[in-house]
Amino acid sequence: MENQIDNILVFATNIKTENDKQKIIEILDANSEIHQWTIDQEDIDCVLRIVSDTLSEEQIIELLNDQNFKCSILE
Amino acid sequence: MRTRDTHKEEIVKQKAIEMLVKLGIEGFGMNRLAKESGVSVATLYIYYTDKEDLIKKIGIQIGQDFFNEMVKDFSPTMPFKDGLRKQWENRARFTIKYPLNVACWELLSHSSYRDCILEKSLLDFKTIMGDFLKNAIDKKELVCMPKEVFWSIAYGPLYTLLRFHNEGKSMAGTPFTLTKEVTDEAFELVIKALTP
Repeated sequence: MENQIDNILVFATNIKTENDKQKIIEILDANSEIHQWTIDQEDIDCVLRIVSDTLSEEQIIELLNDQNFKCSILE
Repeated sequence: MRTRDTHKEEIVKQKAIEMLVKLGIEGFGMNRLAKESGVSVATLYIYYTDKEDLIKKIGIQIGQDFFNEMVKDFSPTMPFKDGLRKQWENRARFTIKYPLNVACWELLSHSSYRDCILEKSLLDFKTIMGDFLKNAIDKKELVCMPKEVFWSIAYGPLYTLLRFHNEGKSMAGTPFTLTKEVTDEAFELVIKALTP
């Protein structure tokens, strides 16, 4: 697969609706440290998947918390 | 540093194929797949972005495996009869060896994933088979006909026999195993129909 797995971070979130998604698109797209991101809203955990060489899990969680979304490391 | 466990990845792929065949695309889910493969949901999401991504990758992989098997010892410049015999051998071997993969392929190729999967995995194969038919017609070893007619006559009988074989019984419910004799008999009739 195309990415080094070390650079992939996955989170459980409450980004449930299309409206929610619109709110994070801008933030995540604008962040130059995020190479690629996807969210699986079909999944119960609305899994957010981030590809970044530099950002830590904590930094992503903070980013989402700032937008009033729940975000935790997916076990 | 986390390392990619290719063994685990193979288990996930095989399990996904099994589940897709058993539950269909609608019934198939990432959480259940993780549970049944003995990996965490997080691991699954490291490999694939979502269910759609996973299904596409699985489909493309099956298509590529199929393609690799089909071109074994085959060349589009072969005499028509030898080439078609090789295609029968390769298709029969793949179908008998990987019945689940074939069932999964069938399922996906009748779904909305069809175009994406076919385009990515079978492009080269289509070119090779196209050349094979063109050569055969040029050499007057094959009657000219629409490709759909060719396909149904050339492979229809084989796939019907393979279905009987996989089910272990024929249309009448009598026990059936595909032997070399039966295959040869059907093949000769197909050749009779297709050659000038």
